[in-house]
Amino acid sequence: MNAPERNLNFTSTNRGELARIVLVNEEIKAIVATAFRINLMALNAIFLAKRAGNAALGFGVLSNELRRFAQDLTRHMASLRDMTSGSVGSVTGVVQQQRNSAILAAAIRLSGDGVPGVKDARKRGATRLAEQQAKLRTLDMRLRAAVEETQQLVELGGVLARSAKIEAAYGGGFSPALMQVSTDFAEVIAQIKRSLEVLGKERLVKD
Amino acid sequence: MKQAHCIYQDDTHRWLAIARDPTKPGYIIDTNEYVVVHGEEALLCDPGGIEIFPAVFSALSAECDPTRLAGIFASHQDPDIISSLALWLEFKPDLKCYTSWLWQSFLPHFGGQDSTFITIPDPGMTIRLGGLELQAIPAHYLHSSGNFHLYDPKAKILFSGDVGAALLPSDHNDLYVEDFSRHIRHAEGFHKRWMGSDRAKRDWCERVSRLDIDMMVPQHGAIYRGADVQRFINWFAALEVGVLRG
Ligand SMILES: [Fe+2]
Ligand SMILES: [Fe+2]
Repeated sequence: MNAPERNLNFTSTNRGELARIVLVNEEIKAIVATAFRINLMALNAIFLAKRAGNAALGFGVLSNELRRFAQDLTRHMASLRDMTSGSVGSVTGVVQQQRNSAILAAAIRLSGDGVPGVKDARKRGATRLAEQQAKLRTLDMRLRAAVEETQQLVELGGVLARSAKIEAAYGGGFSPALMQVSTDFAEVIAQIKRSLEVLGKERLVKD
Repeated sequence: MKQAHCIYQDDTHRWLAIARDPTKPGYIIDTNEYVVVHGEEALLCDPGGIEIFPAVFSALSAECDPTRLAGIFASHQDPDIISSLALWLEFKPDLKCYTSWLWQSFLPHFGGQDSTFITIPDPGMTIRLGGLELQAIPAHYLHSSGNFHLYDPKAKILFSGDVGAALLPSDHNDLYVEDFSRHIRHAEGFHKRWMGSDRAKRDWCERVSRLDIDMMVPQHGAIYRGADVQRFINWFAALEVGVLRG
């Protein structure tokens, strides 16, 4: 047998890994877009509270807090995104190494184990692959830790939204409008929570 | 089955041709790879593409110790020439790749790092291999804009890359050109279309006519021996190149 081997199963597992990174990235993008929406909503809420005057002092404070929350969330998501783009490099490294190792293994099968240098080459390839996989695992752990941290931040956002709802009840004539704004806040934050749950379940490497 | 054929031997100085692979899938152009062995060192000329690496590696290993590979000579940047670079480096990370300066920053897309490449200036240069002096002969624009052939003055062999290439039917498996006029029909279309510059062609014909050549070994098709070498040069000199059809 001397023809090039067809369908060498180089990358089947790692195609999965690249696809997972894409999923993670999409989820991060969705959260970034939502964080931007919260920021705008908080700005509107601040103006609304100003117009409501004394009746909505508490609501105004909470709107400011929500705005800060949106900014913190955006920062968190930016660092998550950095991590995933770093992991694209690592996954590509793993894919390339696996592919090279598989083709070299096919060459060794054709030539026989007795050919000088092939054992060393195989060992070197295995070491490089292990290094790249370890790098990816570390990145995965960092990503998971970062998602957990963001989840805690969003918990705080949830508390702020609930408090805003309570404050809205004291808004006098502005109460229905403030209530609507705080309900929107709560919904958007619930949406982020769901996205973070999906993110928390994604793994860059299979266990 | 791709096999290494010894086409020249003088003591420890050998040329191996890894040619003809009838088992290779038809959609991949058939290529010849050549190995120059001198003493303890070997140089691989145009190692070929990724797909055929296992076949080339095993054919080479059957005839010479692959750890002795000191370098790779890449006549130009095409995928059928050098896309297997990363795999050869996987086997031997300190391999040197000789290529035109023009491709220095392009070839790393196939593999290797800065220290992998030894660039050849436009006028050519001497490549030393275990005490043997090989000459990188300019063949720019034939077809690649940064292109070199490799001349071994001791063996009197010229490795001519894509020049002299013939796209032979699958049942033509002769290693050497046996009937020039029949053979050259399979080279005509290729040279008319791939070779883009008449001036470069004339320069090359003049340059190689001055060399003492027993064998001209192309990257595709059969090997020209003896009088067929000059026959080819004359044929090429007269050929209209850089044309789409006709
Ligand atoms: Fe070419
Ligand atoms: Fe070619």
